[in-house]
Amino acid sequence: MTDTATAALPIDLGNGPFAVTTRGLAKRFGSTRALDGLDLQVPEGAVYVLVGPNGAGKSTLIRTLMGLVRYQAGTVSVLGRDPAERGAEVRAAIGYIPEDYRVGYAWMTVGRLLEHQAVYHPSWDAEYARELRTRYGIDPGRKCHTLSKGQSRRVQLVLALAHRPPLLLLDEPTDGLDHVVRDETLSILSEHLADSPTTVVISTHRVYEVEPLVDHVGVLSEGRLLGQLPRDELYGGLLRYWADVPEGWTGPGELAGRVVRRSGAAPAIEWTVWGDRNAVTRGLSQAGAAVREVAPLSVDEAALALLSGREAT
Amino acid sequence: MKIRLSQADGRPLYVQIMDAVRSGLVRGSLRPADPLPSVRELSSSLRVNPRTVSQAYAALERDGVVQVRHGKGTFVAPGVRPEEKERPRLAREVARRALADASRNGLALADLMTALREVEDGDAHGDGRKEDGR
Repeated sequence: MTDTATAALPIDLGNGPFAVTTRGLAKRFGSTRALDGLDLQVPEGAVYVLVGPNGAGKSTLIRTLMGLVRYQAGTVSVLGRDPAERGAEVRAAIGYIPEDYRVGYAWMTVGRLLEHQAVYHPSWDAEYARELRTRYGIDPGRKCHTLSKGQSRRVQLVLALAHRPPLLLLDEPTDGLDHVVRDETLSILSEHLADSPTTVVISTHRVYEVEPLVDHVGVLSEGRLLGQLPRDELYGGLLRYWADVPEGWTGPGELAGRVVRRSGAAPAIEWTVWGDRNAVTRGLSQAGAAVREVAPLSVDEAALALLSGREAT
Repeated sequence: MKIRLSQADGRPLYVQIMDAVRSGLVRGSLRPADPLPSVRELSSSLRVNPRTVSQAYAALERDGVVQVRHGKGTFVAPGVRPEEKERPRLAREVARRALADASRNGLALADLMTALREVEDGDAHGDGRKEDGR
């Protein structure tokens, strides 16, 4: 593994304004580095998807932003506050879907739980909460401990959205939801974004489920970002090139460090390269490759290329 | 207006939305001065980010296809001439994709042209391959 291969994509989003930033964020559990010098930048109003395999640090990062995990080094700013110092204040301003799907107190009814949350959040929109509850088909008389995983997730979504928070932190929000409910959730999120100015961070390893909502992408691996950029830039700048090449072809040296993933061998290669399309095509052609096709990648494919390219080099 | 988006399409979602509006004009299901769905309605029904719909409407407005009237919504521009502008433009888009598909399969323009005529003739004689799902 070399660092040149992982430095291919940008991770600096510039000057903001940002709803969430971390600088050099580090967190260790025993000898395990969960977060390893992480520089997160979530622009205000963005729908930012955090992609990465299990164990990459996604949940630890979100829990750190919530002030539920103490970090050991670096700085964190969530809506202008440090969650380590002003945790309760930060949590009141966030709509949060935890990785864990159990809600509230086992003995409470769902209706009682919603009332309980309404008191906690001054901006609670009772009418909106009722509308969401109806759309999700949630029975307010049910006891929390009798809810299935999918029903719990729906209750959590109502709790997260109904106070129209400026920031939503959604940790695997579609986990446990069946097809129909997942589809309804995406429709609800689209309307929510149209109605309320909100910044959203979604952590998931099933990015294809939320891809049409996303406008920023961060790829996380072993507690570090391999790339952090607007979705449109990823779409235009990370491309897959199919080319016919002569036997023994090694490729142009000038692309070193920009090839995210190499697959195939002479006579036909398939490379995923970061950079200007015309410049890369020219580079490949001048080195003797006949480029047959160039195509963009979905966020899912891009993340996979980055993560597996890292292992392959 | 019927819009179907596809991740496999390979083009950004806002471009697919723009093409769907143009296609509505060419088919006649959208006419000059018709209202388009609101950003909220369309993003909700397509399950996309509202900004993607706004992006498509803004680009269509720059092309003179729609008018965004503040507080009232988005409308097809009264002066659009689908036959003169939108039809050739949409056809070029379809041609571009067909050519790319042909070249991906190692085919040249001439192969594609010949095959298009053959398929059209075959369909006229009802060889049962009118809709092969593409």
